[in-house]
Amino acid sequence: MSRLVLSSGELRILEGLRLNPRKSFSGRVRGERLTKKKGVSIEFADYREYSEGDDLRHLDWNVLARLEHAVVKTYRDEEDLAVHLLLDVSASMSFGEPSKLDYAKRLACAFAYVALAGGDAVYPRAVGARQQPAAALRGRSSFPRVAMWATGLAPEGTQALSSDLRAFASTGSRPGLAVIVTDAMDRDAAQGVRILAGRGHEVCVVQVLSEVELRPDLEGDLRLLDVEGRGAVEITANSITLKAYADSLALHNASLAEECLRMGGRYTLVVAGTPLDQVVKNVFKREGWVAA
Amino acid sequence: MSFQNAAALLWLIPLGGIIVALYILRMRRKDVLVPATFLWPERTDEVRANALFQRLRFSWLLVLQLLAMSLFVLALARPQTLQRGLAGTTTVVVLDASASMGATDAKPTRFDAAVEIVRGMIASANAGDQLMLIEAGPSPRVVFPLSSDPAAQRRALQAVRRSDAPSDIEEALRLATARVGEVDGSKIVLLSDGVFNEVENFASGKAELVYHKLGTQRKNVAIEALGSTEGPDGRIVYCGVKNHALDESRVEITILADGEPINSEVATIASNKTWGRTFPAPPGVKVIEARINSDDILSADDYAVTVIDPGASLRVLLVSPGDIFLERALSLDPRVTLDKASEVPESERAGTAGTGSYDVVVFDGAQETAVKARGVLTFGMAGASSGVVSLGRSPSFDFLRADEHDVMRGVNLRGVYIENVERVTAKPAGRVVAEGSSGPLIVVSETDKRQVFVGFSPLDSDFPLQTGFPIFVANALDYLAGSTVSDSFAILAGQQFQLPASTDQPATLTGPDGGATRVEPLQGRYIVSGVDRVGTYALQAGDREVTVYAQLRDDLESSVNSQDFVSIKKNKVAAVSDLRRYSDFWKPLALLALLVLGVEWWMYARRS
Repeated sequence: MSRLVLSSGELRILEGLRLNPRKSFSGRVRGERLTKKKGVSIEFADYREYSEGDDLRHLDWNVLARLEHAVVKTYRDEEDLAVHLLLDVSASMSFGEPSKLDYAKRLACAFAYVALAGGDAVYPRAVGARQQPAAALRGRSSFPRVAMWATGLAPEGTQALSSDLRAFASTGSRPGLAVIVTDAMDRDAAQGVRILAGRGHEVCVVQVLSEVELRPDLEGDLRLLDVEGRGAVEITANSITLKAYADSLALHNASLAEECLRMGGRYTLVVAGTPLDQVVKNVFKREGWVAA
Repeated sequence: MSFQNAAALLWLIPLGGIIVALYILRMRRKDVLVPATFLWPERTDEVRANALFQRLRFSWLLVLQLLAMSLFVLALARPQTLQRGLAGTTTVVVLDASASMGATDAKPTRFDAAVEIVRGMIASANAGDQLMLIEAGPSPRVVFPLSSDPAAQRRALQAVRRSDAPSDIEEALRLATARVGEVDGSKIVLLSDGVFNEVENFASGKAELVYHKLGTQRKNVAIEALGSTEGPDGRIVYCGVKNHALDESRVEITILADGEPINSEVATIASNKTWGRTFPAPPGVKVIEARINSDDILSADDYAVTVIDPGASLRVLLVSPGDIFLERALSLDPRVTLDKASEVPESERAGTAGTGSYDVVVFDGAQETAVKARGVLTFGMAGASSGVVSLGRSPSFDFLRADEHDVMRGVNLRGVYIENVERVTAKPAGRVVAEGSSGPLIVVSETDKRQVFVGFSPLDSDFPLQTGFPIFVANALDYLAGSTVSDSFAILAGQQFQLPASTDQPATLTGPDGGATRVEPLQGRYIVSGVDRVGTYALQAGDREVTVYAQLRDDLESSVNSQDFVSIKKNKVAAVSDLRRYSDFWKPLALLALLVLGVEWWMYARRS
C-alpha cells in the first residue's frame, strides 16, 4: 500500500468534491460550510433590532434612513463540519482478497481527502479495537497524516462494532457526519447506528464485504470459528446451508440499511476490490454523498 | 414366511448399531475461520468421521440407510413363502396316464386332477421358470418341452390323454432325467397314484424327485379272467372277477356271446377274493364279452372280451434263454398269446399224451426238438425234427439272395450283419427262401406241420435292429398259423400290433368314441398303435374290416391302490402331502434395497 493510500489519479477524481450532509452542524472554527448559527459571512440571513454593541458595519443604513429605525443585518455563519471517520479494524476486516481493511482504508482516506479539501475537520477513529482517538485534522495538508494513520491500522480488534459505536457516542464528541467504513459483522450493528444517530450525528455507513462473504466457497462438514472469538458453529456446507446463510446475510444487511435511512443517514454496500472511481461515480455522486 | 438362512438376520444388530453409532458419534469437523458465525445456521446432516458421542437426532438419511440395510439383510436371510404349486425353476412333470389314473376317487378322475395340478403349476410359475411335461402312458410322450411359455404349455396340455393300459413310468422318469438330470436345483415331479412296478433302473442325477400322490381309495372290482377252452361237451367259457376293495362288494356280472346276453348274475365278493364261474359257450359263437356293474371307481376293467375264433388267437411258446427283441416282435401280432420257457415242457413234446397247448413254438438259442404244435420257428440250432440237416457252424456269412415267398415279403437281408451261422442243407420237404455264401439261410418246410428255420440267432446279428425283423416274425407267424386268419382280435389296451396289408392304401382305425385315424401301410403291414382305451375298434383296410377288442387285463392297475411311497431302485420316495412350495423372494428385496439406497443418494446429493 502506498504511503498516501490513494493514487494521484484517484486524488484527482476526488478533487473538487465536497461532502454533502443532509443536515447542518455547528462548527468551532470558521470554515467554508454554512451553519444555522447567525454569524458573519456574505450570505444574508435576517434582520433584527439594533442593540448596543452591535457591529455598526452590519447596520442597514438604508432602512435607518428610510424608516428611522435601526436594524442590523444578520448573516448565516460559515463554520467547519466535523467529519468523524470511523474505520472498522476488527479482525473480521482481514478477510477477502484484497482484504476488506485495505479497501476500507482507501475508502476512508477518500472521504478524508474530500473533507479536508472542503475545509472540514476530520476526526479519524478506529473502531473495533481500543485505540486513542486522533486529533482533529484540517486542511488538505493534513491528508498525509490521515493516510499515515490509516496505514498503521491492522485488523486485530475483537471489540464488537456496536459497543465501540456506543462508546464513541458517549464521549460527547461534536455532532457531525459520522462516516463508518465497516463490514458490520456484528449482530447489533444497527443498534450502534441508532445510538450514534441519536446523539446528533448523521451516520453514513459504507459496508465493505468481500466475495468470500457474499458467496462463501465452503463444502463438507465444518466447524466455523468466529475470527473475533464469538463462538463456533457446526455445519454441513451444502446448498441448503449456503442458502440459509445468504438469506441471513441479506436480512442482516437490510436491517442495517433500514436503520441508517430511518435515522436520516446513508448506507451503501461495496464489494471489496471495486475500483474507487466506480464507487465515487456510481454511489457517492449518484446518491448525493458528495457534491461537486 | 420363513427364512432359508435365518442366522443372517443377526447381522441386523451389528450393522444397525454401526449406522446408529455413526450418527450418535460427534463429528470431527474441519475448523474454518469466518468473519462472523451469527449468520450461519446450525445445520449438520451427514456423518463421516466421528469422535465423541452426541444426541441422536432424527434424520431421513439415517432412516433410509437403516431401511436399506434391513432390506439387504432380509435378502441375505433368503426369505421364502409358501405358494401354491410344486414347480421349481426347472421342472419336469411326469404325468401318469395309466389305467388306474382313471379311478374316480379324485373328481372327476385321478388323471384329470393331475392335469389340473399341472395347469396350476403353469399358472403359478414365475417368469423364467422352465417347465416340461411328459405323459407317461404305455409309451412316454413329451407333451411340451422344457420352456417358459405358459400359453404354449396350456395349449399342449389340452392334448394329454389317459390310456387304459399300464404306464411305463421308468422310461418316462429316465426321459425326464435325460433332460434335467444335470441341472442344479431342478425337479422331477411325478403325478401318479403310485400304481406301477418298482422302478429299477433310474437315477435322478442332480434333480430332486418329488412324488405327489393322487387317489385315496381302492374300491374296485375287476374282471380278472375271461377265456374259453374246449371241453368234452363243447367249448367252456370261464370268467373270474376279483374284488380289490377293502370291503365286500356286490357285483352284477353279465356274459354276452356275440353281443347277446347268455348269463347274468349278482355276486357278493369278499375283500380281495375272486368270484369265478364256468359255463358252456353257445355253439358257433365267436366273441364272448363280460361286463360287470358295480359301484367301483375304475370302469376300464369292468369289461373283458375273448375271441373264440381259431384264427383270432395264436398261442405261442418261446423257448429261449431270453431275447427281448424277439419277444416284442411276437407280441406285435394281435393274435399272439405269448408264453416263455427255457425248455419245452414235457406235455408239449411230440409223442407224449394229450394235445398241445400251443399253436406255434419258437426256438431261439435252444436246440429244436419235436413238439406237438402245428408250427415251429427255429433260430440258429437245428434239431432232428427240423426241415434241415446241420452241417456245423460257420463263423461268418454273406447274404446272397432271397426267393419270393410269403415269409420273405417286405424283408431285405442285404447288408444285415450275421455271424456264427449254422450251416445246413435242406431236407427234401424244405425250400430255401434265403441263401448265403455258406448255404441255405432260411428254409421253410411243410409236412404234417409247418416249420421255418433261420440259420442264426437274432442276437448273433443286427437283424433285430432292422425294420424287416418284426415283419419277418409276423410273416413267419402268418405262415406257421396256416390259413386260419380271423377278422376279430382281442388285444390289451395300449398294445401296438400289426396286420398284413393287402393294398398300398391306408387303413382307417375307428375308435370306440367314433374318432378315426389313418394307418399307413409299411412294407406290406399296418403297424397300428393308439388303441389305448378299452372298447371296440374297427380297422377298415380296403375291403377287409377287422374288429379289434381292446381290454384291460392288469391286476396291478385294477388294484387302484394309491401308494404313499413309490419304490425307486429299492429306495422309498414318500408322497408329498402339501401341494404348496417354498418360493424365494430375495431378489425383489435386494432390488428394493438398491432403490432405497438410490433415494438416499439422491437426497444426499440434493442437499450437497
